[in-house]
Amino acid sequence: MRLLRAAFSRLAGFFTGHRADGDLNEELQAHLEMETAENIRRGMKPDEARRQALLSSGGVTQAAEAVRAQRGLPWLENLVADLRYAVRTLRRAPAFTTVVVVTLALGIGANTAIFSVIRGVLLKPLPHRDGDRLMYLRQSADGPGADNILFSVPEVRELRDGVRSFSGVAEYSPFFGTLQEDNNATRIETGLITGNYFEVMGLSAALGRLTGPTDDGTGAAPVMVLTHEFWVRHFGADSSIVGKRVTVDGHPVSVIGVVQPAPYFPGRMDVLMNMVNSPHHLSAFMVQNRAHRMTEIVARLAPGATAAQARAQVAAIRGRVESDNRAFYDPASHYRVAVLPFKQVMGERAQLTLWLLMASAGFVLIIASANVVNLTLMRGVRRESEVVVRAALGAGVARLRRLLLVENLLLTLLGAALGIVVAIFGVRMLTALAARYSPRAGEIRLDAVVLTFTLGLSVAIALLLSFLASLPREGGFAAAIAAGGRRMSAGFGKNRLQRGLVVAQIAVSVILLAGAGLLTRTMIRLSDVRTGLKTEEVLTMPVSLLTATQLSATKPEEFMALDAAAKATYEDMRREIRALPGVVEVGLGSTMPLTSSQLHLEIKAEGQSLAPGQPVPTAELRTANPEYFRAAGIPLLEGREFTLADNMTSGRVVIINKTMADRFFPHEDPIGKRIAWTGEVLKFTGISGDWRTVVGVSGDTQDGGLDAPPVGAVFMPFAQEPVLFGGLVVRADSNVSALAGAATRIVKRLAPLTPIQNVMTVAQIKDQSVAPRRLNAELIALFGILAVVISAVGIAGVLGFSVSTRANEIGIRMSLGADSGRVQRMILGEGGRLLVTGLALGIAGAFIATSVIQGLLFGIAPHDPVTFVVVALMMAAIGIVACWIPAIRASRIDPAITMRAA
Amino acid sequence: MAEKLEVQQGTLALMILRTLDVLGSLHGYGIARRIEETSKNRINLNYGTLYPALLKLEQEGFIAAEWRQSEKNRRAKFYGLTPAGKKQLAREAREWNRTADLIAAFLAPRREA
Repeated sequence: MRLLRAAFSRLAGFFTGHRADGDLNEELQAHLEMETAENIRRGMKPDEARRQALLSSGGVTQAAEAVRAQRGLPWLENLVADLRYAVRTLRRAPAFTTVVVVTLALGIGANTAIFSVIRGVLLKPLPHRDGDRLMYLRQSADGPGADNILFSVPEVRELRDGVRSFSGVAEYSPFFGTLQEDNNATRIETGLITGNYFEVMGLSAALGRLTGPTDDGTGAAPVMVLTHEFWVRHFGADSSIVGKRVTVDGHPVSVIGVVQPAPYFPGRMDVLMNMVNSPHHLSAFMVQNRAHRMTEIVARLAPGATAAQARAQVAAIRGRVESDNRAFYDPASHYRVAVLPFKQVMGERAQLTLWLLMASAGFVLIIASANVVNLTLMRGVRRESEVVVRAALGAGVARLRRLLLVENLLLTLLGAALGIVVAIFGVRMLTALAARYSPRAGEIRLDAVVLTFTLGLSVAIALLLSFLASLPREGGFAAAIAAGGRRMSAGFGKNRLQRGLVVAQIAVSVILLAGAGLLTRTMIRLSDVRTGLKTEEVLTMPVSLLTATQLSATKPEEFMALDAAAKATYEDMRREIRALPGVVEVGLGSTMPLTSSQLHLEIKAEGQSLAPGQPVPTAELRTANPEYFRAAGIPLLEGREFTLADNMTSGRVVIINKTMADRFFPHEDPIGKRIAWTGEVLKFTGISGDWRTVVGVSGDTQDGGLDAPPVGAVFMPFAQEPVLFGGLVVRADSNVSALAGAATRIVKRLAPLTPIQNVMTVAQIKDQSVAPRRLNAELIALFGILAVVISAVGIAGVLGFSVSTRANEIGIRMSLGADSGRVQRMILGEGGRLLVTGLALGIAGAFIATSVIQGLLFGIAPHDPVTFVVVALMMAAIGIVACWIPAIRASRIDPAITMRAA
Repeated sequence: MAEKLEVQQGTLALMILRTLDVLGSLHGYGIARRIEETSKNRINLNYGTLYPALLKLEQEGFIAAEWRQSEKNRRAKFYGLTPAGKKQLAREAREWNRTADLIAAFLAPRREA
């Protein structure tokens, strides 16, 4: 209580100090006068009386200081004084302050922005309950399109029954449906889930209820849980939707709840529905066939179990299953199942890019801080006389150190404040980048943790800067004062630190520039990749007339009717769009050019057998009508196009692409040869394994993206096969994007309940493939340029400082006959040594650093000599310019003036 | 003249409280005089010691200050004991006596066994 009162009173004293000072003075004066009067009464002369009074009481000022110390909070007062002093000092050097604050702001801002992305996408715990115990299972095999082949129901069953380390295994099957409302069709990304999905995932309901075991099986009612994002986006967060019925693909489904916000893998989900919504998923066909892989699985580790135990159990089960079912697991294709933390899977594609950006931003901040150290050191030397005077007046080294710290804190915190503004814009841009790589981009926030990171970073830099600057030792002041306070050590040691920092700056700049150069060249290489199409004036319109449910309808006659109706509608669309002005050709096909359906099936050629140990070849299945190749601009290398005569009643024919032709018929004419689809998967595609005659060979196209090697593709006549996904390819004589509106209207009129999305020109598809890399390259280039500017400032600053401390020496040299050229060469030589050392170290560093980013490069070696030479030349050129400025200043030194001043 | 003693903070507080208890309200000069006299001039109090101590006691609520006219018609700040100060004085005095007895017992000449 007493302590509290005293503390409060002291705090009040801190704020009322000025008023109290007047009181105190009056009180002390009164005391002095009373004592003087007393002395006079004792018979002293007035002057003597006052002198004695002062002597016996001590100085008024010292007393006032002692009372002040008791009254307020001395350390706080000192801090305020230091702060005021620091503000005054920085204001006196606006150029220095601006350079330091701006470079720090850019460095801190970039780090803050990138850290917030890394935290949101890679580090933050998943929103799922005990998210670190969630495991994602991935089955893969060798060959194209086999990175993630999902699981079949029998495979899931084996894992669920056999792995004791999992407390639960949930299935979800990515699917798409059409949400049909009054005259409005929306494509919905759907997960078909087992009832235990939410329990295993550790997600709870935001509204209504989630699915449970009663929602499994053929007898369950069709239900739907909305993802939080879709509920907000599509239903405007209207809670009355829960309990209502909606129509999906023509069937009624009850909305039972909304799940808490969460990221989904592999991508966005709009709704989650129980399996009964897709008859196919519960059909004997799907449930019994081991090769029918359509299911993703997520498992939760049992209490006490580790991921390593789970991995061992999965491996044991798979070893047994694979040897029991040789027909399904071709040994040459190396089937494997990985058990990966769900969180890691979410971030795996973003990882390399984000850490690369973080490292680059970190480098930029380091060299920006190096500049601050340099500039502080220089100012430190210039301020030495001031420091000596302050020391002589009684400021101890600790107090000087604190003053420096306050000054640096002021600089870095100013930088941080500006940096946060930079970060706000940076985060916006980076979120768009991250969304291409990770489903968790929605979780990126500039939150308290990120701001704490920024604050911590700023304070750390300030501390580092304050303790790098060497202050004179306690005893050293006397000597300095004796020397007249003019020149303390222009110390060699201090110089060495400065030079070391400049060399490091140049080296780091070279590394960043090399990275930027490689990524830029990657991007250029990628834009130069030929798509395989002869023109870019092509519009692609994927329109799936048949829903996923209809496609997997099991009754053949029902399916035939749906299929025939869809083909007729497609033909109507084709005819009407063809009639639009400017349209040159319209094609129909299952899959759009430059995109892939990932529908790869095993294939064989007549009369060819596989050598043992050779993986079974696969090819992508596509359909095309007679106009498709001309509309898309895919060149026909050999043979003929499809014609109207290639219909249901005529013989089965195919056109294969060049990759296929080279793979199967390398030394012979493929025309007239026969191939056939084969393998276990074929059985449930509705496509026959009959022999088909090759009638043409088309050129390869970059269907898997510009950076992926072309894969084998087999085109079948649109009229001879099921429509599958379906879509239109429109070619115009010029400016095809202007046609998008009119063409979309036609499609919408003919198929009002079919959602239309992703209408894109070929140029746009191509750009989508290049864009993430362009952003990468631009960001790293930005950091590289920033680094170069910072190091140029560093070189010029350090040399300039060196010139000003050596003005005296230069003056002497010049008066002894050195001409200005000689002086210039001397300074340039000094800078040149730094530059060469920095360049050498930088190139060595870049050699190591660029191998790390190999995965982000395309068409260029990580140690590409051209890039390295260009980068070195660029840095050298800028470095020389930066050296030249102080060199010229040195050569203009007037010996008479500098020597007199010394 | 004997060597003058430096006065310790804790003891000074006790001296001030006791002075105000005996003489009632007093200004800083008066307190200093009285303490010096009571100590038979063995203590020399300067401002730098006295006024911070007064301020500290005031902050702790043991004394209260007000500006009044002095006996010679001069404006001066008078300090007076508060009720809390009276209690504190009693407590401190008791503590001090106990400590003094204890120390005295330790320093007493050794008795022959």
